[in-house]
Amino acid sequence: MASEASISKELISQLVEGTIDDDNATRLQRLPRKDQDRFMNYCAVLQARVSWQDQILLRLGDKLYVVRNAANQRVVKCDCGHEFGDYRQNWKLGCKVRVRRTLAEMREVYDPAPACPEPGWQEVREFFCPDCAAQHSVEVVAPGYPVVFEMLPDLDKFYRDYLGQPLPDEAGDWYADRTADLTQRWAASAAG
Amino acid sequence: MAVVNERKHVVPSRPVNTGPTLRQQVSERDRLTEETGHYYGIADLSLRDADPIKYERFYNKLHAAVLAARESARFVAASPGSREMGECLWGITTPEGDTLAVSMGFLSHTAIFPVAIRYMADNDYDVNDGIEDGDVYAVSDGKTGGVPHPGDFYTFTAICHEGEVLGWAVGINHLMENGAPVAGSWATFSVDTFMDGLVCPPMRTGRKLHQESWWKAIWERRTRASTMNILDDKMRLAGCAMINNATHDLLAEFGAEYYKRAIREVIEESRRMIVDNMRALMVPGTYNGCAFRLVKYEGLQNVWSHANKNTLIHVRASVEPNEKGLMLDTEGSSRWGYHSYNATPGGADAAVFLGMINSFAHNTKVTAGIELAVQRHYALGSIYNPDYEFTSNANLWAQTVALNSIGFNAVSRATFSRGYMEEAFTIDGNWGAFQGAGTTADGTSYGFTNFEWLGGTGRGAWCYKDGEPLVWAAWSQIATIGDAEEFEACVPPLFYLGRKLLPGYFGYGKYRGGPGNSAVHWCVEPGKHVALTRPNGGLSCTTSVGLGMSGAYPGPGSFMISARGTNLPELIKEGETPRDARELLAQVDSGQLTVENLEIWKTDCPELALHDHDLFVDAAGSSGGWGDPLDRNPQLVIADLNDGVAPDYDFVSNMHGVVATQNADGDWTLDAAATTAKRTALRKARLDESLPAADWWQQERNKVLAKDFVPEVHEMYSQSLSFAKFDGEFRRFWQVPAEFNFSKE
Repeated sequence: MASEASISKELISQLVEGTIDDDNATRLQRLPRKDQDRFMNYCAVLQARVSWQDQILLRLGDKLYVVRNAANQRVVKCDCGHEFGDYRQNWKLGCKVRVRRTLAEMREVYDPAPACPEPGWQEVREFFCPDCAAQHSVEVVAPGYPVVFEMLPDLDKFYRDYLGQPLPDEAGDWYADRTADLTQRWAASAAG
Repeated sequence: MAVVNERKHVVPSRPVNTGPTLRQQVSERDRLTEETGHYYGIADLSLRDADPIKYERFYNKLHAAVLAARESARFVAASPGSREMGECLWGITTPEGDTLAVSMGFLSHTAIFPVAIRYMADNDYDVNDGIEDGDVYAVSDGKTGGVPHPGDFYTFTAICHEGEVLGWAVGINHLMENGAPVAGSWATFSVDTFMDGLVCPPMRTGRKLHQESWWKAIWERRTRASTMNILDDKMRLAGCAMINNATHDLLAEFGAEYYKRAIREVIEESRRMIVDNMRALMVPGTYNGCAFRLVKYEGLQNVWSHANKNTLIHVRASVEPNEKGLMLDTEGSSRWGYHSYNATPGGADAAVFLGMINSFAHNTKVTAGIELAVQRHYALGSIYNPDYEFTSNANLWAQTVALNSIGFNAVSRATFSRGYMEEAFTIDGNWGAFQGAGTTADGTSYGFTNFEWLGGTGRGAWCYKDGEPLVWAAWSQIATIGDAEEFEACVPPLFYLGRKLLPGYFGYGKYRGGPGNSAVHWCVEPGKHVALTRPNGGLSCTTSVGLGMSGAYPGPGSFMISARGTNLPELIKEGETPRDARELLAQVDSGQLTVENLEIWKTDCPELALHDHDLFVDAAGSSGGWGDPLDRNPQLVIADLNDGVAPDYDFVSNMHGVVATQNADGDWTLDAAATTAKRTALRKARLDESLPAADWWQQERNKVLAKDFVPEVHEMYSQSLSFAKFDGEFRRFWQVPAEFNFSKE
C-alpha cells in the first residue's frame, strides 16, 4: 500500500464499532507509513456518532472526548452529553467513584479467586459517569494513592505542529495541569 | 621424571592499539552527537544519498550476518531454553557499543551494549593490556555491564582492523541456571549482588574467537547447569565468530573508510525515522501510569536481618513527547532496597526499550537510534538508579516490565486518540516461570529454569476486539512457550499433568484480555531432593499494571499453588487428574483430591521441596481488557460461556450484565430482554454504590492525614515522597499541610 494511502471512513467506522475483520486490521497495521488524514477522518466519524454538536478535539476513551463546547470552553465530555469540566483538570474528579476494598468485593471483578488483588496493599477504584454510569476508568492502586491523571494532551501543539491546523483559540496556558485548583477548593470547603 | 608439556600456542605480547583509544572514541562520539543533535554529527546521509543501492546492500549484509548468527548458532550448540525460546539474540555495534543491527529475539538487550563497552573504555581495557581482534569478553553485571539480571549472559567479541577497534559482535541468552544461593536464573531472595550468582563485570575469557580453558571451569564450578551453560557459551561465541568473519568480509568489500562512515549514517537514519514515527503516531502531552509489586521477605530473611521486611515497590512513570522524541521519567518510583528487584539504568533501559522499539522502529533499521530518541530520567537513589553499588539485580525484571507496560500503554493511548486504533491495545507484562535444583537418586545434581509462561502470554485486549491467548511476549517477536518434553527433560522428576489456558483468567472489559496459562507439574521419584521457587512478574496480590484501559480491569497477576501430600495415585487410576489451577482447586473442594499441605501463593514463596506425587501448579500470562464491561456484545459473552473461556456464569452475568439460559446439552442461549433489564439495574447500582469524587476525596483525605495504611503502603509513600516530583503531586492532590510526611516517627 502506498505511503500516502487514505483510509476510508467506512473502515475507520468499523474500527470504532469493533466490526473490522482481521484481514483489514492487519492491512492497516502493516502500513509502512500511516495515513496522515486519519485523525480528521476519525474525528468526523466520531462526530457523526454522538448526539451533541460540540466539536470533538480529541478522543480520550471509548466514550470520552475533549470538546469545544457552546461556551467556547475546552471540556471533557461523555458520549451521553455529561460535561466533566476543564480538560486541564483530571476528569476522574468529576466522576462518581466506587472502591472495592475487601476480598469479597474484589472477587466480583477478578477470577479465579487466587487472582484477586490483596486488600490493604491494593484497592480497585471504578470511575463512573454521574449521568449514564459508563465506567470510564479503573485503577488498581495502593490505598491513598493520588488519582492518576492518565493523559493531559497539549492540544495547541498537536493541532499546530503535528497536524498543521492550528486551533483558533490557541493560548499559552492550555497545557497545564489544573487539577490542584479543584482539590484546593475542596480542601477550603472542608476547612469551613 | 615428569615431562612438562611445552605450550603449543604461545600468546604473543599484546600489541599496542595504533588507532584512537576506546575512551577517545566514546568521547568523540558524545561530543559530536551533543554538539549537533545528530548521531556522530552526521547532518547529511551522504553515502545513502549518493548511492542508496550500495548503502542498503552494505546494511543488508550486516543485518544478514546477525540473522544468520542466530539461525545457525543455536543449532550448533544450545540449551533447550536458548534453542526453543524467543530470547537469544545477536547484534553488532559501533566501537562505542551503539547498536548497528540485531537478529530476531529479545531486541532490547541492545540497551546494555554501550554500558559494557563504556565501562571498558573508562577503565582502559584497550590500553592495559589491549584489545585484539577476536578477543572474547563475558558480561553479566548490572552496574558495569548494564545487564537486566545476571541470568542474562552476554558474550562480546572485538572486531579490530589495522590496530583499531571497529566494533563488537555480541551474543546473549538467558541461562538455565546461574549459580546463586537461590537456584535458577532469577535469584528471588537475593539481598545484595553477592547473592546474585555468577556476576561478571566485563572480563576477557578468550582470544582469537576461542574461549580459554579456565573458563569452562567457571561454568562447572559456579553454576548448577554447567552442561547447558557450556552449550550456550559455545552458541553465543559461534554466532559472534560468524559476525566477526562477516564483518571482515564487509571491510574487504567496502573498505574501512566506507565502513566507518556508513555505520554512523545507519544510526542517524534510524534515529530520524524513529523521531518521525513518534510525531506521526503520538499526541503531545503528558501520559502517566503506575504499578505496584510486593516483595514479601518478612519472616523469610532471618539470616540477613536488615532485609527481613516487606516492601511494596511503586513503579511510576510519565511519558512526554518532545522535539527529540520523547521523555520517560520514572521519578517518584520507590527507592532501592535490600531485595532482588533493583534495576540499574541499563537494566531499566532494557525494559523501557521493549515497547519503544516495537512501536517506533517497525519500519526502519533497529539500531541505537532508539536510545537517542527515548530520553530517560532515573532519579539517583531510586530503584532504577541506586546510589548503593552492591544492590542485587537478580530479579529486576519482575518490576521493570511494569515500567515498560506504562510506557507502552502511553503509546497505545496516543494511537487510540490519534485514530490509529489498529495499533491500540492493552499492554501487560504478567509473566511467570519457575526454577530450582535437585539431586537424583544416583547423586546427579542439576539446576533448572522453566521459562514457559515467560515465553508466551495472553495479549491484552485491542480497542476493537478481544486479546489473543499465548501470542504475546513484550520482549520478543517470537512468542513461544517451548516444548513440554524439553522442559521435562531438564527437570527429571517433574512431569506435566496439564498445560493449558486458564478459563476466566484475564482482565474483563468490553473486550477481554487474552487468557493466561496454567500448568500442573507432577513430582515423580525426585531422588534425593528437588525444590523450586518462582520469580514471577505481576504477582496476584497486586495487578501487573495499575491502570485499566478505557474502563476495563487490568489483568490479574500470577499465582501458584503447592499441593503436597496428595492422593494422586488414586486419581490416576480413575483418569481424573487436574489439568490447571481451577481444576485442582475444584477437586480439592469436592474432596476428590486430598492434600495434606495446600498452599496458594499470591506473593513470593520460599523454596518449596517436593516429594513423590506432590503437585506444583502455576498460573501466569493473563492480560487486561479494554472498555466498559457492560458494553460487551452479549453474544461474545455467550460464546465465551459455550467455549469454556469464561466458565463461571454467575461471575460473567454480573460482570457484563448478561442473562442466559442453559439447555440440557449445556449450551447457553442469550435472554435479550432480561439482559437489557440487568444492564439497567447494574448501571443504577453503580450510581447507588458510588460517591461523587468530591465526597470520596474528603473521606480518603482523612485517611491520608491519619496515615491509616498498612506498613508496606506507609513505607512506599515514605520512599516515593522523598522524590520532589511525586511529593509535589501527592501534596497537591491531597492538599496536606506542609509539615505532613511519612517519615518514621
